[in-house]
Amino acid sequence: MSSEFNVRRMRLFVPSGVLFCLAFFIVGASAQENIDAAPVIISEANSTRALTAAPKTRKLDQNARVFSPGGKTRITVFVTGVELLPGEGATAFRADATDGRYSRYPLQIVSLAPTPERPWVYALTFRLHAGMGDVGDVLLRVAWRGMASNRVRIAVGHEGGGLKDDPGAVPTPMPDTPVTFGQTDAPGLPYTGDRVRFMHQATFGANPTLENQLRRLGLSTWISQQMETKRDAGNAIRYSTFPMPNPPLMADLNPTCTMNAVCNRDNYTMYPLQNWFFREALYGEDQQLRRRVSWALHQIFVVSGREIVQPSRMAPYIKVLDKHAFGNFRSLLEDMTLNPAMGIYLDMANSTRQNPNENYAREIMQLFSIGLDMLNQDGTPKLDAQGNRIPSYDQNTVNGFTKVFTGWRLCATPANCPGSVTGTRNFKDPMEIIAANHDNTEKQLLNYPGAISTIPAGQTAEQDLQAALDNVFNHPNVAPFISKLLIQQLVTSNPTPAYVRRVADVFSDDAGGGVERGNLAKVIRAILLDPEARGNNKTDPDYGHLKEPVIYATNFLRALNPTANTGAAATCNGLSEGAINGITSLLDQDVFNPPSVFNYYPMDYSIPNTNLAAPEFAIMTTGTALKRPNLIHQMIGPGTGGATGIGINNIQGITCGTRVTLTRYQNLATADPTGTLLVETLNRELLNGSMSPDVRTQMMNAVQAVASTNALRRTQTALYLLLTSSQYQVQR
Amino acid sequence: MTDRREFLKTSCAALTMTALATQMRHFGLINALAQNENVDGGGDGGNYKALVCVFLSGGNDSNNTVVPNYDAGYAQYSAARTAQGLAIPRANLLPISPPAMNGDAYGLHPSMTDLHTLWNQGKLAVVTNVGTLMQPLTRAQYQSGASRPMQLFSHSDQVDQFKTAISNYRSAIGWGGRLSDRTAAQNPGAAIPMISQISTGANVFTVGNTSTPLIVAPAPTPLNQVLALNGFIAGNAEDTARRSAMNNIRAANLDYSMTQAASVITQQAINVSTQLSTDPVLTATFPNTTLGNQLRQVAKLMKFRTQLNMSRQVFYVQLGGFDTHSSQLNQHATLWTQVSQALKAFYDETVAQGIAEDVTTFTMSDFNRTLNPAGAGSGAGSDHAWGGHHFVMGGSVLGGNFYGKPTSNGSIFPTLVNAGPDDAETRGRIIPTVSVEQYAATLARWFGLSPADIPLVFPNINAFGGSDLGFMM
Repeated sequence: MSSEFNVRRMRLFVPSGVLFCLAFFIVGASAQENIDAAPVIISEANSTRALTAAPKTRKLDQNARVFSPGGKTRITVFVTGVELLPGEGATAFRADATDGRYSRYPLQIVSLAPTPERPWVYALTFRLHAGMGDVGDVLLRVAWRGMASNRVRIAVGHEGGGLKDDPGAVPTPMPDTPVTFGQTDAPGLPYTGDRVRFMHQATFGANPTLENQLRRLGLSTWISQQMETKRDAGNAIRYSTFPMPNPPLMADLNPTCTMNAVCNRDNYTMYPLQNWFFREALYGEDQQLRRRVSWALHQIFVVSGREIVQPSRMAPYIKVLDKHAFGNFRSLLEDMTLNPAMGIYLDMANSTRQNPNENYAREIMQLFSIGLDMLNQDGTPKLDAQGNRIPSYDQNTVNGFTKVFTGWRLCATPANCPGSVTGTRNFKDPMEIIAANHDNTEKQLLNYPGAISTIPAGQTAEQDLQAALDNVFNHPNVAPFISKLLIQQLVTSNPTPAYVRRVADVFSDDAGGGVERGNLAKVIRAILLDPEARGNNKTDPDYGHLKEPVIYATNFLRALNPTANTGAAATCNGLSEGAINGITSLLDQDVFNPPSVFNYYPMDYSIPNTNLAAPEFAIMTTGTALKRPNLIHQMIGPGTGGATGIGINNIQGITCGTRVTLTRYQNLATADPTGTLLVETLNRELLNGSMSPDVRTQMMNAVQAVASTNALRRTQTALYLLLTSSQYQVQR
Repeated sequence: MTDRREFLKTSCAALTMTALATQMRHFGLINALAQNENVDGGGDGGNYKALVCVFLSGGNDSNNTVVPNYDAGYAQYSAARTAQGLAIPRANLLPISPPAMNGDAYGLHPSMTDLHTLWNQGKLAVVTNVGTLMQPLTRAQYQSGASRPMQLFSHSDQVDQFKTAISNYRSAIGWGGRLSDRTAAQNPGAAIPMISQISTGANVFTVGNTSTPLIVAPAPTPLNQVLALNGFIAGNAEDTARRSAMNNIRAANLDYSMTQAASVITQQAINVSTQLSTDPVLTATFPNTTLGNQLRQVAKLMKFRTQLNMSRQVFYVQLGGFDTHSSQLNQHATLWTQVSQALKAFYDETVAQGIAEDVTTFTMSDFNRTLNPAGAGSGAGSDHAWGGHHFVMGGSVLGGNFYGKPTSNGSIFPTLVNAGPDDAETRGRIIPTVSVEQYAATLARWFGLSPADIPLVFPNINAFGGSDLGFMM
């Protein structure tokens, strides 16, 4: 494949020794350390028009500068400045072209191969978009690991027309020596773009303590430290920084408590767990990563407090997520299956041989493990000969798993159930089997190469369960399905297939020979340290994801030195961090109360009129969009600020809830009357240094409209603008 | 892959650097138009029409909302459900006599007293055995593997197929959105998006190729407070500068897809907030329930139809809780009390506004549930199934009757027997005889969709006999 191109002839067109005008530097032995490497599309020597080769003639043909419109046309361009990992190829790249009317067309990449005489130059072949007519010049861009290339011209239909070149664009002719492009990382500096992005991906947000820690330890060591098993004074394993609420199991109805607002709140709503959750998110520094991963897993293995009602019933479910966040996926699947809250939520606890219920059988496959369609290891759907997706199971499979899960109930046999409390239903102990209610006929399971796809009649319920969970766990979809969901939760809504594959390979332990499939600690590490996640300033236009309300709120609170009002109990009815849930639920994210098993937002939601996955946008609507700036206004001002339960202490003296402190930034506003220090610091610490010049100009205009003597209002103005911007609301 | 093609045809217009600017100009233009219209009265001029979709989320058990009330029919129903405790006692049914059923009596769920009143007034019709289909299908054909919708019995897929009216591939565009796209020309000068939904997060029903929905909070939030941007004092120079910077920052970095999407949505909310500056007063009293408050907000938006210059509107409201795998009887009764009361209040308000003939309200749901109960006793519920009955309400509905297509027994009401002639399998998953497309197209035609455009909004309509079920005047 790699000898397709007549590189000898190519040389005729490329004066050797031409230097790139961009800031290239020679690749040294440590080139892979450059986390900001970006691809460069090679142009003609004296223009920004792409250097192209015609795949049919297999020759670089400078005369064929015009390509016919239509989805069948293939074009080959040359890309350099990238260093590929083993196995990294076409699926690591995205390409698009923009025409003179600013219509941006995604392009399908057909192949990528190094050129034989210049192995640092890759021939990239793509197909034109079927919807592009005779539009003339378009600007072509490729993106790799979240980094966009320069844009070069390609003529479609005819030459000329189209958009102007990007500002500062220069010819990028064929190099005769290896080059790469980008800035060097500056590991010693505080708040590098990469570190700030990492904090937003791996934790509930950047703050000075964490930043300091990461700068000292490096990302990898910090991950190891967070994944360490922590123990309390009694040497018991501890999964959270603060003690988890442990309210008693209550009867289904307790009229006395129902009449008492505080009793009802603490025993029949998710309030104590929400309070604890936000406390962990804001202050639980030694469990940030576990908490963030557990939160992501909650949004895959959804159970809703709307149906479970009591926090005492929900807490054991959260403990399962916490326990296995860095454990093995198979163990997580098993503990989740037998968890009583899940049992009630998806009806496995009521499913018997006589009256089977399909709910859990269906959702364990659709949502918790393999999804509806057969997947490739890179997360893309497998297609049949007609180009249709291939269902991963059918009703027979659902019927088989339904039988498997019959006979279990909430633990009620005293000998088996240490958590039993008279007069309450037992949500503390795993469910128990009633053998007489189990369907022990033969069962159809998932069928795939290597699967044990039937269970013979006559096995015990426990044997059936183990066989069925093994059958699910070993399905080839599990690695890409779960890996992609976790990437979407932590890093980006639209990972390249290559990224999904790198993580899925870790999940299925291909490198380790399959010794430990489903090691979530390794999966999380692979997600966070992947080159597509790392880098100072991502420029791929489709990179990133919208911050869901919980992440949005905790991100900005952590940056502003939040403090809980511990003295609030008497005057504020005990409200403290739980008040934050009052805010996120206004934004359609009521913690531990998702509206359905499809999470707070469906993971397959896409931006209207595009094929871009954008799950969090399902709850970013005209109805909630203005609540985000209004929340910032309520918290930060200027002008007003503060309300019941949440406020800022250096202006309003609010005594309830969580308060923020602006002093640190205010001091910067005082120190520099131009406002530059304030705006630049906010840019570095909150926006990973990605603020564009036009946004900076706007920020400076608004800041300077406030008298320099009013440092507080300058700070409020700058923070309001930054925190309400789409640029901040989207994690890139 | 077809979904991809559908996207590709339409994506380019949306994903451009100028999209927001275009959208801003678009809104600027229509704001100006709306103001002009207000000067000379504008308004519906007797040409107002609205469709209101009430989505019963989770899969309503319509086996218990429309029940045979003649001896042989009730006996079949009872045989399938009474032993496990899921049948409604015959004496409790609210009796109806649909002329289409040739003398066989039927009954509505006992909680539907208000809807029963509307039925008796001829304002409520039932469309029988509606569901997702790729083609008409018999039990024999189904069991020999004939084409059926993707992922039958799965919530997310069946919900999407009901909302897109497309069952053979995944579409990101809903039929409410496509209908709005195609009838936008009948709504010139609209000051707010033609399609709106109340309170629920984004859903595919309201997404069009060119239409995007307005999403507002339900009552009791006053209409002039549903979309307000706080914290800017008019005339304050610092605030003016901050507001100006905020607007300009929103127009920056639009070449980043996610940033652009967030900015477009925020911009849309700001544009609409300037239009909804007062809170109208309604005549009818709405129940203070989830659905009541959503429909109340719909009625308020309708009351503004003249000043917003709306002549065509599509609304979406939703009530959850219908996924009654267990303890169904109590839950279902509570739910239908709520639905029945809210719909009646809404109908009364349209009468008060003089638009009862111009507003048609209809139900959709994930699917019907299994005739065969799940569990037994007071905990009995039912599982995911297929074809179910739906309600259509309004002054232009030919009410007091059933509409549908013949089932295996020749009537338009299926045979309620597990593993019977209308069951796809063994637990009473009834194969639909009316496709979602036919149900929706009948509504869309009344709304003003031209016959030529029907196949564009419902691409698979020609697989079925007829696109008009006859329940609309």
